[in-house]
Amino acid sequence: MSREPILRLEGVSKYFGEFTALDSINLEIDEGEFLTIVGPSGSGKTTLIRILVGIEELSNGKIWLWNDRIEAIPANRRPTCMVFQSLALFPHKSVGENIEFPLKLRKQRPENRKARAFELLDLLQLPQSFYQKRINECSGGERQRVALARALAFDPEILFFDEPLSALDFRLRKNLEKELKDLHRRTGKTFVYITHSLEEAMVMSDRIAIMRSGRFEQIAVADEIYARPISRFVAEFMGEVNLFSVKGDDSGNPVGTEIDIQTGGATLDSGMGLVRGALATLMVRPEAVNFLVDDGTADFVVEGVLKAEYALGSRTQYKVKADNGDELAVEKLREDRFFGKVGDRVRLGWNAASAHMITGD
Amino acid sequence: MKMSRSARIALTLYGVLAIFFLYLPIISVGFASVSKARYLTFPIKRYATKWYGKAIESSTVQDLLWTSLSVALLVTVISMVVGFFGALAFARYQWRFRGVFQKLILLPIFFPQAVLGLALLLWFNALGIIPSWKTAVVAHLVWISPIATLIIAIRAYGFDPSLEEAARDMGASTWTVMKEITGPLLWPGVVSAGLFAFLLSWGNFPLSLFTTGADSTLPEWLYAKMVSGYSPLVPSVGILSIVTSIVLLLFGVIVMWLIRARSETLSAR
Amino acid sequence: MERQDQRIGLLSALPMGVVLLISFLAPMLVIAVFSVMPQKVFSLLHIPDFSSYKLVFTQGYIKSVLWSFGMAMASTVVLFVICWPLAFGMAKVFKGFGIFITIAVVVTLFVSENIRLFGWVLTLMKGGLIEGHLRAWTGLTFEGVLYNTPVIVFGLVYAYFPFMLFPLIQGIAMVPDDARQAAADLGATRRQIFFEVDLPLSAPGIVIGSLLSFVLAAGAMAESKLLGGQTVIVIADEIETAFTYGQNWPLGSALSIILILVIGALSIFGINRVNLDLIMGGRRT
Repeated sequence: MSREPILRLEGVSKYFGEFTALDSINLEIDEGEFLTIVGPSGSGKTTLIRILVGIEELSNGKIWLWNDRIEAIPANRRPTCMVFQSLALFPHKSVGENIEFPLKLRKQRPENRKARAFELLDLLQLPQSFYQKRINECSGGERQRVALARALAFDPEILFFDEPLSALDFRLRKNLEKELKDLHRRTGKTFVYITHSLEEAMVMSDRIAIMRSGRFEQIAVADEIYARPISRFVAEFMGEVNLFSVKGDDSGNPVGTEIDIQTGGATLDSGMGLVRGALATLMVRPEAVNFLVDDGTADFVVEGVLKAEYALGSRTQYKVKADNGDELAVEKLREDRFFGKVGDRVRLGWNAASAHMITGD
Repeated sequence: MKMSRSARIALTLYGVLAIFFLYLPIISVGFASVSKARYLTFPIKRYATKWYGKAIESSTVQDLLWTSLSVALLVTVISMVVGFFGALAFARYQWRFRGVFQKLILLPIFFPQAVLGLALLLWFNALGIIPSWKTAVVAHLVWISPIATLIIAIRAYGFDPSLEEAARDMGASTWTVMKEITGPLLWPGVVSAGLFAFLLSWGNFPLSLFTTGADSTLPEWLYAKMVSGYSPLVPSVGILSIVTSIVLLLFGVIVMWLIRARSETLSAR
Repeated sequence: MERQDQRIGLLSALPMGVVLLISFLAPMLVIAVFSVMPQKVFSLLHIPDFSSYKLVFTQGYIKSVLWSFGMAMASTVVLFVICWPLAFGMAKVFKGFGIFITIAVVVTLFVSENIRLFGWVLTLMKGGLIEGHLRAWTGLTFEGVLYNTPVIVFGLVYAYFPFMLFPLIQGIAMVPDDARQAAADLGATRRQIFFEVDLPLSAPGIVIGSLLSFVLAAGAMAESKLLGGQTVIVIADEIETAFTYGQNWPLGSALSIILILVIGALSIFGINRVNLDLIMGGRRT
């Protein structure tokens, strides 16, 4: 990366008594990118964003905004701004007063403030009549937009988001995710977003950072995280995925240590190869697994019994109990669904190209 | 909550009965205050308002009113200020001694007020302060400012700390956060705490008993007359004191209502 | 924020802290020191002895202590029984009517306790509101019901009614409706629901309410004086007498200390058992 990062973290740690919430974090954020930090609750993502905003203090480490060290500067003197999980809209102020609040703090003239507020209402596709509305008269989605408008009125160097969509219902959330991505493109600002939903992150982000117990497990573009997770943890985070413990055999092919995985005899390409005796995890997504009929074959083959079938709308999911092993999930589009009965013996197969070898834990 | 109709009716009647009992003695005092006879017996034969006239003309009663009013007003103002900050320390900020502070505040409420008053008397004596209505203010504060704190704390619990964080994040100083966010949001709580403070101070007797020195508040005088040297003025002065409370209460409610209406029109403009 | 919280928290607590220090903790200390002064002195500059405490235990003051605590206990039990149904109604059943009752009860708090107790004297005395009207209308009569112990307990129940009622309402409001419904759905009887669900879940309210009414009743004086005549001398009365007619400050202090110790111990025990943040409606613990 030749360009200078807008924000740089070096060895940022946070301790709450004995508990280590953040364990020496390093991170560089580029100007104009949409970075999403994803992690389960307790992974330290909320602590991290609160430290980045300046609401919470770090125990150790350094933070640069461009060339300035900012870790000792309190929130009210940092040129960054956050959209809170609760949105933190002031209930005693109108929509317009909320949006103008940061401008009022900067002692801007009322007419300039008002003009800017109307611009922002337009940008966020809220009618101008909202200027006078009370916060409690706004719907959930409208409040999101007001909170965004207020944050944009602040005109921050970096805009932080602390899971602002988590309280909304599914459909509204999906719409706002896309709107947020569009807004990012239109404003060209740097967005840093935290969420516990990798799906949400996938929709919006340029890069995703996966957090686990106070550290980054993997930082990469969305596609990379999806296709080549670095660890079981990351792989499982994305939702349903088949993971097998494997071990390299004499020819370097992976052999299941629990489930009997046949590798069809041929030596697999080098990407799948393992050192003899090395342990690893083989990952394959449910949609990459096929039902093999007649004497069809694949790079990897597993035999078992069809246990259950679930209609997921556009797709159908199958659970197959492998012989002497765990269940596997298989997903097919509705039009490609498998016509078998529960209790039937089935053969499953997938190719090396759609599998991924995880060497981390 | 689902409940059978008869149970609901029974419960409602029970509530009505409870209120009736709570007000029965006040009704008796009301009747007594308009009895013409010097020595009261029920049923009242002739009604007169002469005791009210006498009470209002009496310079003693005027002094009493004035003393009670001074004490109550001072207690109110101080309790509002102390309670506002106390409530923030009680409910809002996570600081090291918060737990101790919360418990310490509750202790005076649990203590027998007469004993608190006596202890204060000894303390003033040890300090060489001669008790007067001003020392009674201190006495009232021990009991009333914790209550004011609790009332405001209920309000302080109700608001989201991220409101303050958001304001701060957007560049507000500690003072601006107080002025723009914390203050306006807690204001209704502060007003009702003030109302409570005034009314509790106005009606308080056990704390005043030992701490007013040569001065005397209304409840003190009433008690003295009830226990010894009955005066036919007692019922009418009692009712006057109650009426003052009610007028003030109504006034307070109207003020609260105006505050709410104003904040609504402000943001609806 | 946490360092900020520490600083602002401490600063905000300061005014209250000053009030409590100069008008609560310091006087408590003074009274404690006075209680170990020799008899009938009026300054703290004497050689300490325990003569006051000796007097307390030899001169029958213990009887007053027992009377006070006994009547406080009785009134607390009665209060719990009569307040529970009403508190339940107000927390779970009534809507507008509940607000009406709340306001009506709070308003009585603003009327000086003396006036209300005096009102009871007028109501209950021979020739009072009840007996007078009864005789005028029916010719029946009865002796006044004043000047005995039950009427003192009645007075205590009356005076401290709000102090039991409101904490109970808070406590019962903390019992989730679906917990009661689930218990009923699982086949619990009304009795079982009360003992297995209502009682344990509303415990914080019960603890605070009982504690408040007990403690206030134990230190009360006006009820026994106005309604009870001189049938029973309660501890607070003894304390007052020691300070005023008796002119024996150390004795009064020693009696106060005994009352304070019992009440203080009970209060601290009770306050420690409840989560204040929760009962006050806070979301954080």
